[in-house]
Amino acid sequence: MPRAATLLRLYPPAWRARYGDEFLATVGEAPLESRQVFDIVMVAIDAWLSADVRKATRAYRVAPSGGGSAMLKSMLVCGRRSAGVTPRDGLVGAAVMILATLLFSVAGIAARRAGWSATGEMLKGLAFAGPFTLSMPFWLMKGQPWKAQAAIIGGTMLILIAAGLVATRV
Amino acid sequence: MALREHDDLLASLGRFSEPALHILISLAGGPKHGYAMTRDIEAVSGQKPGPGTLYGAIARLEARGWIEPLPAEDRRRPYRLTSAGERVLRHRLESLRAVARIGRARLAEG
Repeated sequence: MPRAATLLRLYPPAWRARYGDEFLATVGEAPLESRQVFDIVMVAIDAWLSADVRKATRAYRVAPSGGGSAMLKSMLVCGRRSAGVTPRDGLVGAAVMILATLLFSVAGIAARRAGWSATGEMLKGLAFAGPFTLSMPFWLMKGQPWKAQAAIIGGTMLILIAAGLVATRV
Repeated sequence: MALREHDDLLASLGRFSEPALHILISLAGGPKHGYAMTRDIEAVSGQKPGPGTLYGAIARLEARGWIEPLPAEDRRRPYRLTSAGERVLRHRLESLRAVARIGRARLAEG
């Protein structure tokens, strides 16, 4: 089981600066139960996304450190920045998602009819996750550096396609 | 109307509304730090809040001004109920009492 001090690294720097010491004092030195580990991890995600938590820790914001994965950090701060999403962004994101869903479905049907049944199945299987991922730049990842967006969107699409291809052959 | 407004305030904490209520009840008995709150909540409600949930609720209550931190003692920082927090707690308990009264009355009718 990971220790509480290790799990604390999952929390935003401002949260750690504000609550870190007392959190560790509350958890104590005893080994964590799996239920506690789950609780700490789930609330770490919430700590990155919650406006209330940002408000409570505003005075403790610190400059980002150089450590950690830039991609993971970028993913985690997406939610924090999504507050700047306008209704228009939401509509554009929804339109992209609907259009991409239609494209994936049509491409899947066309591939099947052309005799590429595995590819067709894979494309139809991606008809939700793929469009959702492709719509992220318009809302969830709005304002992120284009390199981070390309890495996250491209990486996710590659993983989805690979998983889809494997699934059609199992 | 006032009761409903305060209920909505607590309900706006989502999945943290119940732990937040437990924290407010715990602090109604006097200032406490996280560990003491955990023990007290477990003794009162029979439910031990996870450390993440406890501090998730504390951060929300603090952001809304319903509790406030006191100077840290060693690594532990006690919290106390504010007057706004006391009002929210009072209204929530009144609301729960009304619900319990109706429930008991219906059970008696049955």
